[in-house]
Amino acid sequence: MTITSPLDTAPTVRRPSRWGRLLWQLGGLTLLLALWWLVTDVLKLYPPYVFPGPREVWTEISYGLWGSGPQDGKLLAAIGNSLRRVLLGYGLAVLLGGVIGLLMGAWRPLRDTLGAYLTGIQSVPSIAFVPFAILFFGLNERAVLFVVILEGFIPVALAVSGALMNVPPALRIAGRTLGARGLGLTTGVLLPSAVPSILTGLRTAWSFAWRALVGGELLVSASASLGAQLEVGRNTANMALVIATILIIGTIGGLFDAGLRALEGRVRRDYGLEVQQ
Amino acid sequence: MTRILTLLTAALLATSAHAQSAATVRLGYFPNLTHAPALVGLERGTFQKALGNVKLDARSFVSGTTLMEAFAAGQLDLAYVGPGPAINAATRGMPLQMVAGASEAGAVLVARRDSPIKTYKDLAGKRVAVPSLGNTQDISLRHLLGEQGLKAQTDGGNVNVTPIPPADVPAAFAANRVDAALVPEPWGAALEAQGHRLIGSEKTVWRGGQYPTTLLIVNTKFAQANPTLVTAFLKAHADAVAFINKKPAAAQTAINNQLARLTGQKLDPRVLQRAFTRTRFTTGLDLNALNEYAALNVEAGYARNVPDLKAFLSPSLLKK
Repeated sequence: MTITSPLDTAPTVRRPSRWGRLLWQLGGLTLLLALWWLVTDVLKLYPPYVFPGPREVWTEISYGLWGSGPQDGKLLAAIGNSLRRVLLGYGLAVLLGGVIGLLMGAWRPLRDTLGAYLTGIQSVPSIAFVPFAILFFGLNERAVLFVVILEGFIPVALAVSGALMNVPPALRIAGRTLGARGLGLTTGVLLPSAVPSILTGLRTAWSFAWRALVGGELLVSASASLGAQLEVGRNTANMALVIATILIIGTIGGLFDAGLRALEGRVRRDYGLEVQQ
Repeated sequence: MTRILTLLTAALLATSAHAQSAATVRLGYFPNLTHAPALVGLERGTFQKALGNVKLDARSFVSGTTLMEAFAAGQLDLAYVGPGPAINAATRGMPLQMVAGASEAGAVLVARRDSPIKTYKDLAGKRVAVPSLGNTQDISLRHLLGEQGLKAQTDGGNVNVTPIPPADVPAAFAANRVDAALVPEPWGAALEAQGHRLIGSEKTVWRGGQYPTTLLIVNTKFAQANPTLVTAFLKAHADAVAFINKKPAAAQTAINNQLARLTGQKLDPRVLQRAFTRTRFTTGLDLNALNEYAALNVEAGYARNVPDLKAFLSPSLLKK
């Protein structure tokens, strides 16, 4: 008689390999493009000024990214400006959120008061803060940065304080037994063990910050930015430019999210929270 | 995305709207002096009279952008709009015909009273408001900056061109949010009355004042389905222009009444009078000026090519 381990009888889920998944994704994309082309160029269900086809959108993307005319390359400049802004805003938001989260994690009254307000503010769409930001800072980059930081720091603060709360008591006791106290306990024991949850917060903060950026830029469209490109496309009846900009916004947002997700997965595996597939 | 969806739904609904002769004529315009023929025609009831039993549904818009969106969605049959949005729409293949002129000149550059700006050159490093990006005044501002060796921030220069609806410019000046504004009348004269300074008259802004500011456009499908209605409306439009030119005082009263109805506020008659002297009213369409305008639009980066505007021009409808 052979002894069967429970691992042998557990149903094994075969996940597709990385290449297999990429193939599926490419296939889906091709199908989507084909459908789009069918609706716009073959069936002509909508006039091009309402819903342009993939070719027109591609023209906008190619001129906007690597065109050599005097007015070309605007999308590239817009991407550069928007990325610079969001990285600055996101960086500041993470810093601010980290500090506030630590304070909330360390002191209960702060968590009970500020924590509740932050959850409330988080439910307000970022665009609602734009008029206030414009009055406060003017029609400029600072107004946009304000909205990005406001949106970005809250998920970080909530994640940090929440993660600190959820550290297993055993770790806390062990740390104390080994002589860690106060700040030392927080930075040496609690914070390292909270890293996976904090990373999840950082990822949420990224998507919030990116959305807030585009929303803010749309309303404060004075200098080159993705938001301004949307506004220009709208104002010049150039739907192809609008769709091209939307695609770029989605791609950049998705790529950053995928990067952060990969980092998060790696950390979770390192922490033994997830099993290597 | 919602906007696109709204446009899509509206476009679908619109395709079936003009199968038979229309029961309503939907007209778009702005509450500006440069749209005076619309204001006068509405105030005096000449449009409705010309259309007879067909109902006139007139809607006012704050910018050419929102107006052209409604036009693209098939919600407008006729519209008073600046050449900027009209040319852009034509470039994208929207079914429109430019059937008559409405006003010329009437756009001025005003600097905030406590700003150091005295000439166009002083705009370097300053914030300048235009009604909306890609609109008629924005395109002429970008050209004007180019003539001074300046560039907008979006083109790598140091002039911050910011879109602000003309009605909000007084508040933006008061809050120091912008240093100057290129606005259509009567907003220029209204700003002057508040103590702000005119630094570019309607003549120095472009082409010695020989430029179209407002045109009358018609949806091509609507014009084909309802030629008599369009002709009737155009006659009423020509009447309104003639009235403005023959009886400026009475026209100003009519314009002020309409503006008061739309904005809830009456203009000082002297402000309106001053704005009036800077604007010309005509039914003529200057193809050369429009072509130059289309070239400026390309220069500003809003289009890649100049469309054959002749194909979009039907001034002959006016003469019927």
